[in-house]
Amino acid sequence: MSEGQAFIQVKDLSYCYPDGSQALSNINLDISKGEFIALIGQNGSGKTTLSKCLNGLFKPTSGDVIVDGLNSKDTPIVQMVRRVGYVFQNPDHQLFNSNCWDEIAYGPRNILLPEEEVKVRVEEAALVVGLPELYFTEHPFFLTKGLRQRVAIASILALRPHVIIVDEPTTGQDVRQSFEIMDFLKDLNEKHGHTIMIITHDMPIVAQYTRRVIVMGMGQVIIDDSTSEVFKQADILAQTFLEPPQITQLAQLARRLGFDPGTLSVDEMVQQFKCIAM
Amino acid sequence: MSAIIEIEDYSWQYLDSSVPALNNISLSIEEGTFVGVIGPNGSGKTTLAYSMDGLIPGQYHGIKNGTVKILGREVEEYPQGELQQQVGVVFSDPESQFTAMTVEDELVFGMENLGMTIPEIRECLEWVLNLTNLGPLLNKPPYEISGGQKQQVALAAVLAMTPKVLILDEPTSMLDPLSRRRVFDVLDRLTREQKNTIIVIEHSLENLIPLADRMILLSDGQIVLDAGTRAFFQHVDLLLEKGISPPGAMRCFYELSRAGIYKGSLPLTVDEAYEKLTKLLVGRKRPANPQREGSQA
Repeated sequence: MSEGQAFIQVKDLSYCYPDGSQALSNINLDISKGEFIALIGQNGSGKTTLSKCLNGLFKPTSGDVIVDGLNSKDTPIVQMVRRVGYVFQNPDHQLFNSNCWDEIAYGPRNILLPEEEVKVRVEEAALVVGLPELYFTEHPFFLTKGLRQRVAIASILALRPHVIIVDEPTTGQDVRQSFEIMDFLKDLNEKHGHTIMIITHDMPIVAQYTRRVIVMGMGQVIIDDSTSEVFKQADILAQTFLEPPQITQLAQLARRLGFDPGTLSVDEMVQQFKCIAM
Repeated sequence: MSAIIEIEDYSWQYLDSSVPALNNISLSIEEGTFVGVIGPNGSGKTTLAYSMDGLIPGQYHGIKNGTVKILGREVEEYPQGELQQQVGVVFSDPESQFTAMTVEDELVFGMENLGMTIPEIRECLEWVLNLTNLGPLLNKPPYEISGGQKQQVALAAVLAMTPKVLILDEPTSMLDPLSRRRVFDVLDRLTREQKNTIIVIEHSLENLIPLADRMILLSDGQIVLDAGTRAFFQHVDLLLEKGISPPGAMRCFYELSRAGIYKGSLPLTVDEAYEKLTKLLVGRKRPANPQREGSQA
């Protein structure tokens, strides 16, 4: 998976908010290029804080975050956000320009790229997220939430970060829209080589799209393993009030009948049924 | 048994739109029923919710046809504010509902508006805190609590007014699985203990199904399917066509029945699915063999 060193190395990371509350304690992680990761856990478990440490917005209280060989402690945020992009949970908390073009151009302009380069970046990002040109002059607030989310992602992509963290990509979307957004992230991962990390409460989405799951609780990493191995550990998940997707729960109940407790999809379940019944 | 909500040949078209948001729907809901409303975004679910608490036609411009009656009386006939004592709506975006500087003020705001006495308000507040576990947050500003907690405060503020009909528009969209379950536990208690009529608009079906007596599918402003929960989920073809994804255990049995392996009604819960799976496999001549030949994709 990794070519030599991991792209992101998190070493003994702890983070305290200015009011003294400890949000992260002693986190160790390696993230390699090309991974598709889910970061899961209860509200308040530290998922968003960890993400903001990864893109340099927060500097560790102790420990280190090293991205692409750069330690976030002594690297200006301008350099960090060009490597790790974070898309807010609610696109409305992020979008503030009066048209989509300026919104997407904001990041590249902010890092003082020449205007010709800004144009290249905006067009490239809009193309990748599938935002039609006719929306360039539109006010983001007149778009549907799905399109606003794409604008939010495009404005991050325009900085060409290698890693893209998307906070709750499917919240408030219906099933079809959720699959659209996730398929789009999958394309970014598979066709464009981006490393993707999603923060989500939607376990079926985790099962269907991600290959690695990091479970957080009380500011710590509780499990970090392949998706099917993580969902096998239903008892540990239960301690953090999480549960595997329904199809995995069914396979686990039916373990005695010969089903694999790491089953992640309906298709796998049906295949196993046929094998067992034959 | 009388209908608490009666909707007849009802259509609503927003002023700035060229197509009706709801198109000739008829619907009658008995008191004490728990109804789940599902459908893709843009199918008219929220418009239906607003139509039942008088926000439509009161606060929106548009064209209305047909009638919407609550407790036998048309929504337009209620004096300002009186309908909202009968019908409470919890919005999908809790922030749009907040007005106060502390959670406590937020919770009592509605009750004060209704002119309840201080002892009544105290009693109601205690009841609602007991139901929702929001006690520790009372002194916090609503904008400082987490998204999940915001949704719970929004729900509690409406509950505190003890409406007969409670409408929740995607009440758990921002919640983690535990808080999501808590909300549904509260709803479960309300139906059992208070006999409230509850209408829940939701995308996440797993928690909704075990509680719902009846399910309604909206698509393009029309009611496409309206049936008791078990009967409703015998139409998985239609649901999939409309972009609704049934829970995993149900989908598994849907696939088995399409393959001709299973006949009968589809299970509504994991436990029911497990029971059916056991019957299917254990009843066979050759007992289930725990060793599988590799893992087939």
